[in-house]
Amino acid sequence: MSGAGVLAQGGGLPALAHGVGERSDLPIPLFYAYAGAFAALVVSFLALGLLWADSRFSGDRAGRAIRARLPARPARVAALLAALYTAGWLLVGPAEGNAGPYLVYVLFWVGLVPASLLFGPVWRTVSPFRLLPGRPRRPLPARLGYWPAAAGLLAFTWTELVAPAPAAPPTLLAFCAVYAAAQVAGTLAYGHAWLERGDPFEVYSTLIGHLSPLGRRADGTRVLRGPFDGLDAVRPAPGLVATVCVLLGGTGYDGFSGAPAWVNALQTSPLGRAGLGTLGLLAAVAGVALLYAACLGVAGLVGGTRGLAPRFAHSLVPIALGYLVAHYFSLLVFEGQRAVILALGLDRLGVEVDRDVVGPGTIATVQVLAIVAGHVAGVVAAHDRSVRLLPPERAVAGQIPLFVLMLCYTLGGLTLLFAA
Amino acid sequence: MRRRLTGWAAVVLLAAGCGPLSQTHHKPGNSHEVATAPPGGGGQGGEARAVITVRAGRVSPPSGWLEARRGQTVAITVTSDVADELHVHGYDRTAELRPGQAVTVRFRADLTGVFEVETHESGLVLTQVAVR
Repeated sequence: MSGAGVLAQGGGLPALAHGVGERSDLPIPLFYAYAGAFAALVVSFLALGLLWADSRFSGDRAGRAIRARLPARPARVAALLAALYTAGWLLVGPAEGNAGPYLVYVLFWVGLVPASLLFGPVWRTVSPFRLLPGRPRRPLPARLGYWPAAAGLLAFTWTELVAPAPAAPPTLLAFCAVYAAAQVAGTLAYGHAWLERGDPFEVYSTLIGHLSPLGRRADGTRVLRGPFDGLDAVRPAPGLVATVCVLLGGTGYDGFSGAPAWVNALQTSPLGRAGLGTLGLLAAVAGVALLYAACLGVAGLVGGTRGLAPRFAHSLVPIALGYLVAHYFSLLVFEGQRAVILALGLDRLGVEVDRDVVGPGTIATVQVLAIVAGHVAGVVAAHDRSVRLLPPERAVAGQIPLFVLMLCYTLGGLTLLFAA
Repeated sequence: MRRRLTGWAAVVLLAAGCGPLSQTHHKPGNSHEVATAPPGGGGQGGEARAVITVRAGRVSPPSGWLEARRGQTVAITVTSDVADELHVHGYDRTAELRPGQAVTVRFRADLTGVFEVETHESGLVLTQVAVR
């Protein structure tokens, strides 16, 4: 959706993938889909037979401590100023060529993925909400866990993919106001512990940051560590599975929301576009979650161990990351340029988006590699956790339902890239 | 309960598994009736063409894909029963739609990707141009 197009009108916008963006990706070639599916299958079975028999990852204890500290306060003040700048665009920016939606949907939301992957939990480091006093008035109830973050991520995904006018400044301002109010209220009541579990973007950034070589231990020590050790350090809590399922399901919904069959269904539905879109998004998230619950249930039966579900949620993080990269790579490349051009006023100097930076072949390659790499990482993480949790004689059989689960997500992801 | 969940798993597995073989809507003329020129010429000078009517908020033929090769000319003819504005995303072409009058937007497809063709007032996706 072009800046000129969308932002000029208030209502009646078609449901668009990604909130902003004027193009979507071509389907990947059939060969790529098969190559990806084949690679995922082979890796899963090799992992089952050949990987180690004793757990190797040591989670939070792993890594070499380093002394790399960003001056947190100035960074947070800078982030606050950037947020106010964005709000300024949304409040008083022009109807055409408004940088606000691009700053929110592209640089912030999509940009958090590579930033966290490279530098660890960046939103935690720069979050302006951490300028608020961190002393809790009461302790954060343990059963709350990640549920507020899951709800927040679902709300953001809804705003981005289902809301009637996702790129309209009033829509974004409403979301940002509710988001900021929730974080301020949560922090004033529960201190910074709230942000760790309740701020959707901090949870999103921290989960992806677990795969970064620059890790952060639970006690705050910065460490250099392997991504699998980082992943192993994700601590299970209520709502963690839901959070990951929202990320996977939301991105999956994004994948099929542009398919002509779904576009037609949205346009002709008696429920209205937003009504059916909401149902579709919820169904995608519920589908991902049901599949997870079913496969983990079977794994528990086969492995003779109870309560496995929360302890394998970490292995879905790389799969969700693969989905995110596959669906947002071209958006970041193309619309990221537009975000910078509009935000800095370079459009007035005649600077234009370079649309030939990456071609369809490169995009398809990145998409398939991201999905398959996410799958491989998920399989390795799940394998290591299985041999730790399951009795040795059942560890191999107990992994089969987990691999079936991951194959479903991976084949589903490839199918979306190929057919939607 | 567990049994029911397993049933669900089977359904999802099937749905996920049968995907890569289905060719549904990406082959022109498969699931919709958008007229597309055959690749390599023919038709109107090798144009990728779509003729679309909007009546009472319904798009006919139903919103589908219009395939085009990079460099090919795309021609989209739209007749709407209400005044509206036509917009081709990415290429940023717009055209005024007057009630009952057929309007044709024609452009060279020099960007690859999938681009929505929509109406601004009614907010309908008329078709998506897929340029390879």
